[in-house]
Order: sequence, then structure tokens, then C-alpha cells
Amino acid sequence: MSYEVIAILMFSSMMLMLLTGQRVFGAIGFVAVVAAFFLWGDRGGYDLGFAAAIKLMKWYPLLTLPMFIFMGYILSESRIADDLYRMFHVWMGGLSGGLAVGTIGLMVLISAMNGLSVAGLAIGATIALPELLRRGYDKRMVTGVIQAGSSLGILVPPSVVLVLYAMIARQPVGQLWLAGVVPGLMMAAMFIAYIVIRCRINPSLGPVLPKGDRDIPMGEKIRLLGAGLLPLFIFFAMMVPFVNGWTSLVESSAIGAIAAFLAAVLKGRMTREVFETSVRKTLGISCMFMWIILAALAFGAVFDGLGAVKAIESLFTEKLGLNPWMILILMQLSFILMGTFLDDTAMLVIVAPLYVPLVGALGFDLIWYGILYTITTQIAYMTPPFGYNLFLMRAMAPPEITLRDIYSSILPFVLVMVAALATIMAFPEIALWLPGYVYGN
Amino acid sequence: MQGLMRRYIRAVDAMNYRIGRIVMYGIFVMMAILLWSSISKTFFVPSLWTLEMAQFAMVAYYMLGGPYSIQMGSNVRMDLLYGEWSDMRKAQIDAMTVLFLIVYLIFLLWGGWESFQYSISYGGERSPSVWRPYLWPVKAIMLIGIFLMLLQAISEFFKDILRIQGHDMGKKV
Repeated sequence: MSYEVIAILMFSSMMLMLLTGQRVFGAIGFVAVVAAFFLWGDRGGYDLGFAAAIKLMKWYPLLTLPMFIFMGYILSESRIADDLYRMFHVWMGGLSGGLAVGTIGLMVLISAMNGLSVAGLAIGATIALPELLRRGYDKRMVTGVIQAGSSLGILVPPSVVLVLYAMIARQPVGQLWLAGVVPGLMMAAMFIAYIVIRCRINPSLGPVLPKGDRDIPMGEKIRLLGAGLLPLFIFFAMMVPFVNGWTSLVESSAIGAIAAFLAAVLKGRMTREVFETSVRKTLGISCMFMWIILAALAFGAVFDGLGAVKAIESLFTEKLGLNPWMILILMQLSFILMGTFLDDTAMLVIVAPLYVPLVGALGFDLIWYGILYTITTQIAYMTPPFGYNLFLMRAMAPPEITLRDIYSSILPFVLVMVAALATIMAFPEIALWLPGYVYGN
Repeated sequence: MQGLMRRYIRAVDAMNYRIGRIVMYGIFVMMAILLWSSISKTFFVPSLWTLEMAQFAMVAYYMLGGPYSIQMGSNVRMDLLYGEWSDMRKAQIDAMTVLFLIVYLIFLLWGGWESFQYSISYGGERSPSVWRPYLWPVKAIMLIGIFLMLLQAISEFFKDILRIQGHDMGKKV
């Protein structure tokens, strides 16, 4: 049997097993160790599986993962973001669609404090959503805003998805994070532009707050501005020692987690229940990620051993005569397509061993591709029939929002994201300028 | 047979639950190590042991906490089809596919055992860092973690079997 056939066989059996609904890490790990067992004998099978565990242990930046997950839960469970929302509410309410714009701003700040989109979604769905609906905002508009906004969590540093990507692509996390800053802000700006234009054309989508609601004394307004200091404090507590080289990335993530914890304690929000829930859920989610990476590393190692990437590369460049850019665009299209029916963890496993080395072999920058990868993952997070965010949204949103509303609400935002993706593909400097500036290369 | 399975499920679930409840506070152990690392680095002499100690703590955290995460149902499944099925259907399919998970864990255990044996032979394998810790303690923890995972996977298998026979084993996660 040729290696290409083995690779295809492995892929299809993995997809089949994922479809049975068994735990993702079990399905992937099984295919990996059994394939290794048949290819390279018993030593191959058991060595390969366990070697991934050692590799995982030695990969230092992975320690940031539980830290950021913990941070995210502290922020969403303790509801210390309530004031933050009030701040945007008071300052932006006078604008047509202003509360929706403010929600995007809120999401950017939350993204700068944690690395997953779940926290942003939880905060958005529980705090902002009911408030916006009460003010007569169009329900499809606000549902889309919250989902799109919360997906910024994985692009704006700190980002857990970029940590995972870094591990698989063997790229420095610090550079990847910096590369995410400008594209993240650019995308937020594009969302805001979309909201403002839509509301300019049809003001009933996002009515201006009534005069009475806006009559808030200036002193109160200024006081609320103080709420905005909290995320800045947490962000800088984390980033200043890191950028100055006093601490490593991992140490900074621990400082960030401690800062978030202290903030919740000082605000009197750290009840026993919040504490227990955050600690318990952190364990659950961290274990989920770790075991999946463990299995995915084994799977990737088999692929490396097969030299499958070389075979596919030569198929595209020599036999089909495509140039690197055409291949990249094709890959990105297939990736978005896959994203609509695969969930994000499955995508990580498929894309990691296959696409990332191929992109490297074609001579593209892997830091830049990390950003493209992340945006595509964001799209996958949001698009039906699969999408983590869709299901979470369903679970958290008030009952008047149907699954249909959720599905149709994201469409315009997905188009905005595709536009952002294309822009960054055409102008890699958007992503690469900041890391180049900071690291001087 | 049924009584035996029930007793196994009760014993394993209780043990893994207790271990998980303790291990979940490991997040603070990691935080403390990393905080000390930043403090000592900034103000005193950098500690040599913090980096690896934090890694060992993380391994213990996810390996020993794994079974509890299975109990909580944190491990994602692809629910395109699975999400639509009744609990009975889920139990039927899971009772078969969980065997894949068990095979994977057995391979991991096998590799872990070999690696552990290596780490205690020839005077003990050490990490190639400045601190040079022995590697057998962390490998022992990994081995225990994988073994507990295996016990939990078998417990899930028994639960599905009992569900298929029409017993109420709690909601399927």
C-alpha cells in the first residue's frame, strides 16, 4: 500500500469515527496508535502515543492554557464585567446603533483579558443581550453582534487558539500574539463600520436611547469610565513585564490569572459558588484541550513519518501545475467549507498535520498563516450546522431568540470576516508589521 | 454480573471523583510556582527548578484530573448525529465506540510503562536541564493518570451496558 493511500485511509477512518460521536480525543488517538502499530510494529504503536505526552510536557507555553481558561471563567462567573458594559451603555447610547457598537468595544476589552471566545459570549449573552433587546434593538442584529464580537477573543492576545497553533506549527507564541493585534482591531473596526452603516440606512435596527435614559450626571459618567480601567489594569499587569523581558509568557499568564482573581475578590464578587465553579470548569476544559492535543500530536507524528505532506505538495505543484498562491486560496476555501460542518477541535486536528506543513513547504510565513488560520477558525465557530458559539448562544440566550434567528444573524458578520480574511491575505503586513517592529526582524 | 458492574462503577467513580476534586486546585499550585518564578527572576536570583516543576504540575493536573473531566462530560464529541439520538441510542453506539478509547488508553499505558521502566534503570533517567530532576516521579504520575483514565473508560462502558439493559444510570453526558 502506498503512503498516500494510508494517509487517506487514516483520514477517512478518523472522520468516520468522529461521526459516531465518541469523544474526539479517543477517536483520533485510536487511529494514530493503530496506524503506527501496523506501520512500524509494536514499538511504533506504544512509543508514538506516549512520546506525545512527553512532547506535551516539555512544551512550556502550554502552561498558559489553564491560566487563561481560569481567567476567562473568573471574568464571566464573577460578573465583574457588568460595570464595563454600563460604561459603554452610558457613553454610546446617544448614537444610532451605539449600544451595538459599544458591545463590540466591550468584546475587544474582554478579549484582551482572556484567550477563549466562551467568556465573551457568556458575558455578552447574559449582560448585553437582554439589555439591548429591552431597548428595541433588532434581535438578529444583536445576536450577530455578540457572536461576532466574542469571536475576537481568539484573535486578540492572549489567545488560546494561537497557543495551540504555535505548538503544532512550531512557531513562537509571542510573535503570533503580536501578529493578532492589528488584524483583531481591524476586524472590530469593520464590525463597527457595518453596524453604523446598517443603522444609518435603517435606524429602527438600533434606536437611540430615549432622552431620559441619557440624562446621567457627568460625575456618574466619569465614575463609570473608571470601570474601563479594570481590563487595562489586568492587561498591562500581564503584558508590561512580558514585553520588557522581565517575565516569560507563561509567567505573565499566571500574573494575569492572579490579577483577575484579585480584581474579583476586591470587587466582592468572589463568592464560594463562583470560586468552586471557576476552579471546576477550568479543570474540565483544560483536560479536554490537553487530551485532544495529546491525541492530535500522535496523529501528526504518524503523518510526519509517512511523508504525506511532501506527497500532497508534489501533487499540487508538479502534477497539477498550480502556483503557491492558488494552492493557498484553494486551501483557505476548502478550510472555510470544512469549517461549516466540522467543529473547531476536529478542524485543528485536520488542519494541523496537513495544512500547516504544506503552507511552510510552499514558502509562506507561518506566523502570518497563524492569523489566517485563526480567522477561519472564528468563522467555523460561528457557522451552522456546527459551531460551538451557536450552541452556547442557544443555551444562554433568552427564549425569544430562536435557533433560526441565531443562524440568520451571523450571515452578514461572516461576510465581513471573509472580507477581513481576504484583506490580510492580500496585505500580510497587517499581521506581520507589529511583531516585526517589536522583535526587530 | 450486574451487581459486580454496579460495584465497580460505584468504586471507580467515587475514587476518581475524589482525586479530581483535589487535583482541580492544582491550578493554584501552578500559579504559585509561576508567581515565585517571576518574583525570584525579577528581584533575586532566578530559580532553576520552577520551569520544570510547573510542567510536572501541569502533567499531574491534566492526567489525574482527566477521569473527573470524563465524569463531568467535558470531553467534546462531534454531535452532528450524536446530538440527535435518544439516550438509548447513544448508549448503544457508545458501548461499541468506547472500545476505541480503551484501546488507545492501553497503548498509552503500554508506552508509559516502558518509558517508566527505562527511567528507573541505569541509575535513574534525569532531565537534561540545569536542575536535572529525576524523571521517574512524573512518569509514575502519568502512568497512574492513564490507568485511572482506563478505569473510568471501563466504568463508562459498564454504565452503557446497564443502560442498554434498561437500568437508570443517570443522564447520558
